[in-house]
Amino acid sequence: MRLPCQSSCLIGIGALSISVLGHSSPGFEKEIAPLLEAKCLSCHHSGEAKGDFVLSTREEAFQLAGGIVPGEAEESLLFQVVSGADPEMPKKGKPLTEKQVALLRDWIDTGASWPESRVLNDNPERDLDWWSLAPLKDPRLGSSSHGNPVDSFIEAKLTGQQLTPVPEANAQTLIRRITYDLTGLPPTPEEIDHFLTASQTDRELAWGNLVDRLLSSPAFGEKFAQHWLDLARYAETHGYDKDKPRNNAWPYRDYVIRSLNDDKPYGRFVQEQVAGDVLFPNEPDAVTALGFLAAGPWDFIGHWEVGEGKLDGRIAKHLDRDEMISAVFNVFQSSTVQCAQCHHHKFDPVRMEDYYRLHAVFAAVDRADRVYDGLPLEDQKRKEELLSQINRLKQEQAALTTEVTRLIAAKASGLDRRISELKEKYGTGLKPQYGYHSQITKNQNEVKWVQLDFGKPKSPTEIRLIPAYDQYNNIGAGFGFPIRYRVEVSNDLLFQKNVRLLLDATGEDQPNPGTNTIVLNGDGNSFRFLRITATKLRERKADFIFALGEVEAVNEGGAANFAREALVTAKDSIEAPVRWGRTNLVDGIFFRELGNDKALDELQELQKRRAEIEKSVRPPGTDSRLSEIKTELESLQKAASAIPEGKLVYAAATHFPRGGRFTATSGTPRPIHLLYRGDLTTPGDLMFPGAPPLQQNRSGIFFPETEWNEGDARAELARYLTNRENPLVWRSIANRLWQWTFGKPLVGTPNDFGRGGMKPTHPELLDYLATTLRDDPGQSMKSLVRLLVTSRAYRRSSGHDEENAKVDAGNSLLWRFHRRRLTAEELRDSILAVSGNLDRSMGGPGFQDFVIEKPQHSPHYQYHLHDPNDPKSHRRTIYRFVVRSQPQPMLTTLDCADPSMSVPERDESTTALQALTQWNNRFVEAMSVNYAKKLDANDPEKLVTESFRQMTGRLPSMQEIEILSAHLKSGGTASYARVLMNLNAFVYVD
Amino acid sequence: MNPFLNKPDSEFASGNSTRRRFLGSLGGTFSGLALGDLLAREGVLSGTLHHPPKAKRVVQLFMAGAASHVDTFDHKPLLRQKDGEPWDPGEEVELFQSTPGACFASPWDFRSYGESGKQLSDIVAPLGEVVDDLAFVHNLVGKTGVHSQGTLLQTTGFNFPGFPSAGSWVSYALGSENENLPSFVVLPDHRGLASNGAKNWAPAFLPAQHQGTVIRPGKAAPIADLFAPKSNFITPQNDRAGLHALSQLNQIHAAARPGDDRLSARVRSYELAASMQLSATDALDLSREPNCIKDMYGLAPEGPGVDDTEAINEKAESEFFGRKCLVARRLLERGVRFVQVWSGNDNGFPRRNWDSHGDVKRDHAPLALGMSRGASALIKDLKQRGMLEDTIILWTTEFGRMPCSQGSKGRDHNPFVFTNWLCGGGIKGGTYGESDEWGFRPQDQSRSTSVYDIHATILHQLGIDHERLTVRNNGIDRRLTDVHGHVIREMVS
Repeated sequence: MRLPCQSSCLIGIGALSISVLGHSSPGFEKEIAPLLEAKCLSCHHSGEAKGDFVLSTREEAFQLAGGIVPGEAEESLLFQVVSGADPEMPKKGKPLTEKQVALLRDWIDTGASWPESRVLNDNPERDLDWWSLAPLKDPRLGSSSHGNPVDSFIEAKLTGQQLTPVPEANAQTLIRRITYDLTGLPPTPEEIDHFLTASQTDRELAWGNLVDRLLSSPAFGEKFAQHWLDLARYAETHGYDKDKPRNNAWPYRDYVIRSLNDDKPYGRFVQEQVAGDVLFPNEPDAVTALGFLAAGPWDFIGHWEVGEGKLDGRIAKHLDRDEMISAVFNVFQSSTVQCAQCHHHKFDPVRMEDYYRLHAVFAAVDRADRVYDGLPLEDQKRKEELLSQINRLKQEQAALTTEVTRLIAAKASGLDRRISELKEKYGTGLKPQYGYHSQITKNQNEVKWVQLDFGKPKSPTEIRLIPAYDQYNNIGAGFGFPIRYRVEVSNDLLFQKNVRLLLDATGEDQPNPGTNTIVLNGDGNSFRFLRITATKLRERKADFIFALGEVEAVNEGGAANFAREALVTAKDSIEAPVRWGRTNLVDGIFFRELGNDKALDELQELQKRRAEIEKSVRPPGTDSRLSEIKTELESLQKAASAIPEGKLVYAAATHFPRGGRFTATSGTPRPIHLLYRGDLTTPGDLMFPGAPPLQQNRSGIFFPETEWNEGDARAELARYLTNRENPLVWRSIANRLWQWTFGKPLVGTPNDFGRGGMKPTHPELLDYLATTLRDDPGQSMKSLVRLLVTSRAYRRSSGHDEENAKVDAGNSLLWRFHRRRLTAEELRDSILAVSGNLDRSMGGPGFQDFVIEKPQHSPHYQYHLHDPNDPKSHRRTIYRFVVRSQPQPMLTTLDCADPSMSVPERDESTTALQALTQWNNRFVEAMSVNYAKKLDANDPEKLVTESFRQMTGRLPSMQEIEILSAHLKSGGTASYARVLMNLNAFVYVD
Repeated sequence: MNPFLNKPDSEFASGNSTRRRFLGSLGGTFSGLALGDLLAREGVLSGTLHHPPKAKRVVQLFMAGAASHVDTFDHKPLLRQKDGEPWDPGEEVELFQSTPGACFASPWDFRSYGESGKQLSDIVAPLGEVVDDLAFVHNLVGKTGVHSQGTLLQTTGFNFPGFPSAGSWVSYALGSENENLPSFVVLPDHRGLASNGAKNWAPAFLPAQHQGTVIRPGKAAPIADLFAPKSNFITPQNDRAGLHALSQLNQIHAAARPGDDRLSARVRSYELAASMQLSATDALDLSREPNCIKDMYGLAPEGPGVDDTEAINEKAESEFFGRKCLVARRLLERGVRFVQVWSGNDNGFPRRNWDSHGDVKRDHAPLALGMSRGASALIKDLKQRGMLEDTIILWTTEFGRMPCSQGSKGRDHNPFVFTNWLCGGGIKGGTYGESDEWGFRPQDQSRSTSVYDIHATILHQLGIDHERLTVRNNGIDRRLTDVHGHVIREMVS
């Protein structure tokens, strides 16, 4: 542990210097240093140097003339700016106390001693005096404690401001309101009728029954999950460059819906999403929950193509962790810890160390597919072990080859330029008749041969073996040329007697000749048969073959080539015209790199030099190690692939197969350093897991040891978050539940309860709700929602009142209900519902309302090519496959959440583009047609009344009937439906 | 249904008074309705700019894939001298894809242009005519050599997603001069989107009306949903009549709910939509542009369908980029604040963007010739219309390319130094900041330029102090320039 050790050493030095100097003045170490560190250093340190006054070291502190005048406090700028009635400093935070001012004066007056080696660091005090950090209070209920406690708080405030709440909304308004709020769908006419009738007899009972019905409807989870997924920045592609799909993201979406429908205790819900795998190891749901950490954008290129071997890759990884940490703290804590990345948080008690401790918590996790179900735990463990071994070997393999490539590129790229110039200028191209190709075998040492029969004995002086050329598996030159082989001649067809050896290359491995021709001299005697026997085969792709482009047998001077007339036989062969066939071996067609002999000479010379460079830079032992690795990898991969895949979720993960340069940590945390200004090139102290302390003088560090288990760190963070004494987590969710039912939150900045955010309009109410949820044994969100929607405040009209508006135009005190617009999803779902198209099936992979073009590289998500009548896309919008780079155009225009960030509150803009999309979008057009088919044009009056009620929850007025009927008559049913789908009365919920 | 329980709209005011108010308001179109500020095209700084502005609008020309500075605007004779020799910049260099190859001279010659004698490569020669108006910044530095991050950094000022585009900020600050057109328009390359797609023009935490509206000039439907889709039932008659009925019904609804401006704003939004149909159609109609103008911009006789399937070629690139530049001019004339023009699509194969890892010569020539013709025409055209003095043009890309070779004919990414140029809107021509002799790093590494400085300078010209245009989001007062940025004083008059 470096930090405590370092500071204790420094204390020793300080104490020593004081005793040597013999001052009886205030101790620099004990009193002055902490004071300066707490009050001054955040701006006046070596990096920032505000006002050219630096207090990091003694030398710097005394540099500014008149800054510190030893012996004369009154003359010292440092003293002047912090003392007096209205001190100029510190700029931020509280002024110095009288005692502190006096200490500073004494210190300067007695000589301002400062040990030479003592360096001060920014160490501000944690100012925890802020509403959201104060312990939760269980407020005593107001006078009307017999009713719903929510109303006591709301009405106390209203009374205080002399506001008179508006009356209760009528029953049809109420059922539409609550049905949308709790399920995101419109009430059906039957549901309306049933509720209106029931309300006639017992309003409270009818309301209670309605609330219970809606809370137990599966649609409740679908609606509230959308709120949560907005926060969780959920999408099903990576974002950034290439924006690849995440095909296993959806189990997390289903997890959220299921958890909300099952009314999972909130604390448990939080814990699962941070450390479900550690805390509840035998429960599949607890692993899918980790989809939360992974739900945000991920830089595929930075991780996969660049990798952590390079600075850019480490920056990508740093940003990736920052994204995770921000999500955890913005969502669960309503705290903006990410502001402490470059300096201590400007407003809130979060220090840089706290922030980087959180990096340490997540130092071992990445975003990847992981098994959540369908595989026994021991198999999973075994697979994880295999994966880590494979990853280690692959990393070593990559390091070795990268090093070789680097060494070659540095020396050979000039040569390469010339080589490619020559090829470009004189290249002859590849003719399709490649040559001879044996059958494929898995056994590298299988002996294969190919043989030429000249018909009668000939005496060629030169035998030329020309290697084949095939780009298969990027092999190219020397494709299938044997690694060990011999060339023999005989007059015996079967090579059983009188066999003469022309070349024996079976003793050791031969280099790949590339495009070079192997030339052998004849032995002067004649022979009828020529046989080339491969004893060790060259690799093709995890298998082995023997291939050869051409064989020539020429006489003196090359005038005749006896091979052209020869009959070719082989032990085995692949006959696949036009490329491969025995006869292609003697057809006179072979790959010739260049059409110009001089150029070819130059090329061969360059290639020779290149090969020499390649050979010379290869560190000894590289090749043998690489081949060892290959063998090991093969057996490990075989063992791994024997274990079934299981069900996968895209989640925080420590074990997954290496892809590109993206390598799993296997649970070993990456070293995390404090980064001054967030700069990875100047790492500071090593950091260990921890979190911002929520009480004064508590340590933020999780473990006393400097080695820790990554899972334990996340588990510790989960416990920290859900601690009873953590006021933020309970206030945060209470505020959100209020927002999701009342439309607007009690704290106007739901992701920021810090000093940069807003204060609660009803702090006691917020604490009441927070403690109610926390202390409920089931920590039931549904119970809290029930409490909210059964209040009088929830059931008020959204009508206007001039007098109230004069006092509280924004309705922050809830004298009426907030009218709201349907969300983009509610609008789409409602249109599907009324037109009879809505498919209510739940869960599973998301539907795609786009067509993917060019999926190989960067998928193009083409929404305009999708057919809006495709029934697969008629499920609720929450089951949509959410794309980051190319968001759904209609929903985006209608203010749906941007999944690149945590969105606590939807925007509600009103724009011309919205009007265009809602009026002209192909989806609306198609659904208008579908809706029209359901309408009975024989009875226009009934049609208008019923369809209007279906869309808006109420009957049309006489005027509305007039206008609608007129348009129905002139424009037809589909055009009529199109108008209905654009009505304010449909789009707004009173 | 029980008609006694089910009711018409009766909750918010008594039926009779609603009826009277409604009848009164119908006669005078919208005069009877209080319009909120929801649709107002005013920006937050309209009328309260921080200082008198020099410019009113901005065009951002974005070369997707990373355009090579050493092959276009930043002449490096040393590369010719040392061509093919091992490259030794005196430090270990970590590249995006490859390991550093040999010195690689630009395949093109450079010549001097204008009074300044500025050296331009042959593939950007068309910009020679206006070179004295251009302010070159050759010492721009990026943060990383990753496309997505580099692109976001140039478009939003942050190298990770979640922040508003510069165009959104300008729209937010200044609003639009024409309520019938979006204030921020994006003209993407028709072959695909750049890294991060729509994130490059997203409003993030700014209100949605500040998102860039995508227009695809030359396409059958250049703006999504501007007109009714192909339909078996929509006719011009019932389209119009439907809107009329809708307007009446929505006015009745709004009138019954006083004190809620959103409702009347939504009524108005349909009116604006109708006006936008006319304005946008007019802005995109190039048929009445004289031939000399079309030629100047490099438009092809066969129009936007000019063929590039066989190979990327100059004629096609001129048509694609020139058409967007011409449309940009027409949009600017009609009051659009910010136009983003993209050159190059995503990383497909064959490559049709500036990401020349494999072959600079093959890719850069057509792209640069097409780009420079269109950009040069835009500058000349704005000038002859007196608009260049208050229109800023910014040429940018995600980063530069290396002075050494990748493979044999390509160049890898260079985030350590690259070039931007600006023009118009009170920007003075010249060169501000040089790269080193290789074009590898800034000549003076302690005095490099960042995107924050470029953005700060542009905002300054628009009358905005970049440190004072802020929006609080998640606890931080966010700026386009994060916590950085200095106005490049020498560059502005």
